[in-house]
Amino acid sequence: MKGGKDSPAILISGILPYPFIIQLMKSSGTTYDTREDLALISRARGGDSQAFESLVRRYQDLVFKFAFKLSRNREMAEELYQDTFVNVFRKLNQFDGKSKFSTWLYRIVANNYLMKTRKSKLSRASVSIDAPEGFTDNPGRDDEGHIVQTLPAWRSTPLDGVLQHEMRATLDRAIAKLPTDYRMVFLLRDVEERSAEETAKILKLSVPAVKSRLHRARAFLRNQLDGYMRS
Amino acid sequence: MKKKLIKCSQVAKHICDNLDSQLDTARCRAIKKHIRECPNCYAYLDSVKKTVHLYRIEQTPKLPERSKRKLLAVLKMK
Repeated sequence: MKGGKDSPAILISGILPYPFIIQLMKSSGTTYDTREDLALISRARGGDSQAFESLVRRYQDLVFKFAFKLSRNREMAEELYQDTFVNVFRKLNQFDGKSKFSTWLYRIVANNYLMKTRKSKLSRASVSIDAPEGFTDNPGRDDEGHIVQTLPAWRSTPLDGVLQHEMRATLDRAIAKLPTDYRMVFLLRDVEERSAEETAKILKLSVPAVKSRLHRARAFLRNQLDGYMRS
Repeated sequence: MKKKLIKCSQVAKHICDNLDSQLDTARCRAIKKHIRECPNCYAYLDSVKKTVHLYRIEQTPKLPERSKRKLLAVLKMK
């Protein structure tokens, strides 16, 4: 990034908008201190290339990991990482500070991923959920009146991230079948642990729409893994 | 007034909507009671939690150094 007078960043005011200050005060649980983001963004807007590089270093893992989880493809994740930070560089003046910087980054990654996959039939498909086998509204009861278990229990899951190759492939296949709109909600809410409100902001959805998609995504993935996970 | 029984399908929907909810409404208490007494709903809740857990703990590859260098080079050209 050039910090000279030709740089677009030099044209942008270094003064941060008031909503950004409010966000700073409300901020909790972000990956990085929002006040430091605030200072770096302000300096980067003033043409300070070191400040922009610091922003990249702060958020490069977040961007790459989310890109990989969305695409499940290392090469595409690297492209999304590059495209996202180039977009950030070009559009830093458009960041209005009404949301966290990470919220804005997630949105750019998601948009870039949608652009790359828009021709895929899965991008806008809906999800149908079958009732799990053995799950009924009228379960049988034993002689003592206890409900008889007909839904098989799942085996234990590992406590850490070390998954067997077979398990990893099963997770890949399951999420690959989940339409993109639902996958994004599932990843942001359950894997990235973003709130329903932040997920709604990132994907420009209503909170009820986020909840509905999350419900269907969880049920869909659960059913996809069922055969493999039954004990 | 006779209490309306909660169906397993309603519990399943609630589980998916409020997996980690700490809500303490009358409906939530009724659903928690149902889950304690219904092995199918208990197994379903457990399986949904495990689904989320598996995707959460899964490790992702590290961002390659060459990719970091490439980005910085691209930005310097802008």
